[in-house]
Amino acid sequence: MLPLLAKVLKVLNSEASPWQIGWAIALGLFVGILPFGLLTLLIVLLVCLLTINLTTFILVWGLTEGLMLLFAYPLEQLTWQYAQNDTLLTWLAETETLQLLHLHHTLTLGAFVLGALLLVPVAWLSKVLVQQYRYRIMTNVEKWKLTQMLKASKLFALYEKLN
Amino acid sequence: MIRKSGWLVFITFFTALLALVYLLAGPAIRLGMVYSLEKAVGAEVNINSVSLKLAPLALQVEGLQITDAANPSHNSFSFNQATAALELWPALLGYYVVNELTVDGLQYGAQRRQPGEVYRTPGADGEKIDIADVLQVDLPNADELIARANLQTPEKAEALKQLALSEQQQLKGLKDKLPGKDTLEQYQADIKALTDSKITNAADLAAKAQQLQQLKDKLNAEKQRVLEAKQQLTQSKDSLQQAVAELKAASEADYAKVQQLANLSDGGLAGISQILLGDVWGQRIAQLQSLYLLAKPYLPDELPQQSTEPGEPDVVLPNRILPLPSQPYPDFWIKQARVNWLIGGGEATIAMQDITAQHALINSATKFSLDVKQLPQLAAFNLQGDFAILQQMVTNLSWQLEGLNLQPLTLGKDDTALSITDGLISSSGKLNLTDNQISQQASVLLKAANFSSSGNKYLQQLATLLDNQAQIPLNIAATGLVSAPEVSIRSSLDKVIGDALLGEAKQKVAQYQNELKAKLDAQLQQGLAGQQDWASLLTEQDSDISNISDSIENMLNAKLADVKDQAKDKLKDKLLDKLGKKDNQP
Repeated sequence: MLPLLAKVLKVLNSEASPWQIGWAIALGLFVGILPFGLLTLLIVLLVCLLTINLTTFILVWGLTEGLMLLFAYPLEQLTWQYAQNDTLLTWLAETETLQLLHLHHTLTLGAFVLGALLLVPVAWLSKVLVQQYRYRIMTNVEKWKLTQMLKASKLFALYEKLN
Repeated sequence: MIRKSGWLVFITFFTALLALVYLLAGPAIRLGMVYSLEKAVGAEVNINSVSLKLAPLALQVEGLQITDAANPSHNSFSFNQATAALELWPALLGYYVVNELTVDGLQYGAQRRQPGEVYRTPGADGEKIDIADVLQVDLPNADELIARANLQTPEKAEALKQLALSEQQQLKGLKDKLPGKDTLEQYQADIKALTDSKITNAADLAAKAQQLQQLKDKLNAEKQRVLEAKQQLTQSKDSLQQAVAELKAASEADYAKVQQLANLSDGGLAGISQILLGDVWGQRIAQLQSLYLLAKPYLPDELPQQSTEPGEPDVVLPNRILPLPSQPYPDFWIKQARVNWLIGGGEATIAMQDITAQHALINSATKFSLDVKQLPQLAAFNLQGDFAILQQMVTNLSWQLEGLNLQPLTLGKDDTALSITDGLISSSGKLNLTDNQISQQASVLLKAANFSSSGNKYLQQLATLLDNQAQIPLNIAATGLVSAPEVSIRSSLDKVIGDALLGEAKQKVAQYQNELKAKLDAQLQQGLAGQQDWASLLTEQDSDISNISDSIENMLNAKLADVKDQAKDKLKDKLLDKLGKKDNQP
């Protein structure tokens, strides 16, 4: 738990831009919702090619994968219910690329739609939150007695070590 | 914004992933298979190893054993090795198209090295038959049999009773509508008064004619009512006669049905073979239910836009494929399969083509065949069949088996056990399974069988008698719902056994037959009880109506004729008077 917290703090306090962290959170969430497949690899490639914060991306991916153990079934049920649309089904049947991305699989389709809908709002919200953290909290936190105590603790030593 | 080392990071990630998949996929699939199979069968499942090959893409399963929950020292199903070679492009699209599946060393009921664990004890054991119960000849009594046979007599008797009641009500109502004796006498008196009265002049004639016409109209109306009543009476008679005929026919049909049910018409006892093997065969057939349950999610009426029956659990397939209007491949499709089956002390190969659940997509049915000859314990076995899920699930199967050495088999246990030590079985038959409805015909011939029993005297007698038979033929038919089929097993041996072994039961059977006949007769008599009442009522009504009808007809005809004659006479008198006056004139 301590290394994980240290990593989060390290990223938040690093030089990484809020947008890089925001997109890392949004894409980590996207890739975590999706069942593993070609879409996952495409998103990972995108993350690798762009200067998106990798640590945040991997952390959020892992956490979301865990959450999907709970939410995959209802999401699949919901998609099965709403995807019975002739136009959509014909489009999926006629486009092999979409099938290559496994979008004709109930869970993949549901996860892709949900992930795509959340992508930009989550990226923007994360960016705002990181900015707010850095502007309002980070400087104050430095002055807290607790922080001073923490700086003398094992956690801080680990943080320093990671630096 | 572009990471310079991006491609390198991705390639490293991808390679690590491939290595991980290659190393861990096998164990992961093995764990998944063991978990899901154990959950399904409720007993220990062992798999030696599962490995993934990349070129060509193939999955190999080694040493699968599924413990028989009812007999943990044996496997219900096992094989040495199975290999499935997947096609890459369909697999990338998410469809499992297997070019070739081979299963080697498939066995049913092989012994395990050590007993497997049982997590869920199965229900009633199909093999256990209490022969003692059979030999006690505990026939159901007449009431039970009548209740079980779904007889028509009580229903028809009730229908007749209801019909007779409603007809009686109608007839009573009818009587009120008809003119009574007084009314008719009144009509007669009126007509008589009218016709007997003297007609004084033309105006009087016209008035009386009008009065007569009014009476005639009334009488005609009465006549119409009488006619309607007659018609209704005829209808009543017809429908009641029909109901009586139906009741009598139902009673006769029911007696025949009950006789057949108890097998009394042959003079023997209810089929021993039916009692002995009926349940066993029924349970074997019911195992085909699993095939139907497997196919059920693919049957058209299970599509989600149609409502499913209440109470039925929703069928869920994980990460299932949406029902696309034109899929390039079925969800799964095994183009060729070769199963090496250990049977009859040797090996037989089952060849299968086009195994899928979406036959419409490949425009072909799943076919399977097996043809073996001269195995150590089996002379010949030929099996042909096909299976398709289109609008319905249809399975056809036919087989011909010659000279299968029977393994020692014990029916029942302890002092009610009957053992078959050896024998040769030949069988031929066919089976059709349409959705969950089965229709199956088979003939089984047991030759040179040796029976033994250390049980009670009845069983010993039975074993001796069976031993003396050169061959024991059985005709087995199963129809109806696959989960609870109606099995009929007939054998020419039944009568022999019935006559020889169960002589003392014959008296009981004869008594039973009489009791049954009396019971059905009583039901018939009860049903016909009201018949005499309404028959006499109908006859009485019929004669009343005929009398009324005749009397009205007489009144109408006779009185009208008199009026005319009188008018004619008066005219004649007048003319004669006039002529007389003229003659007197000079």
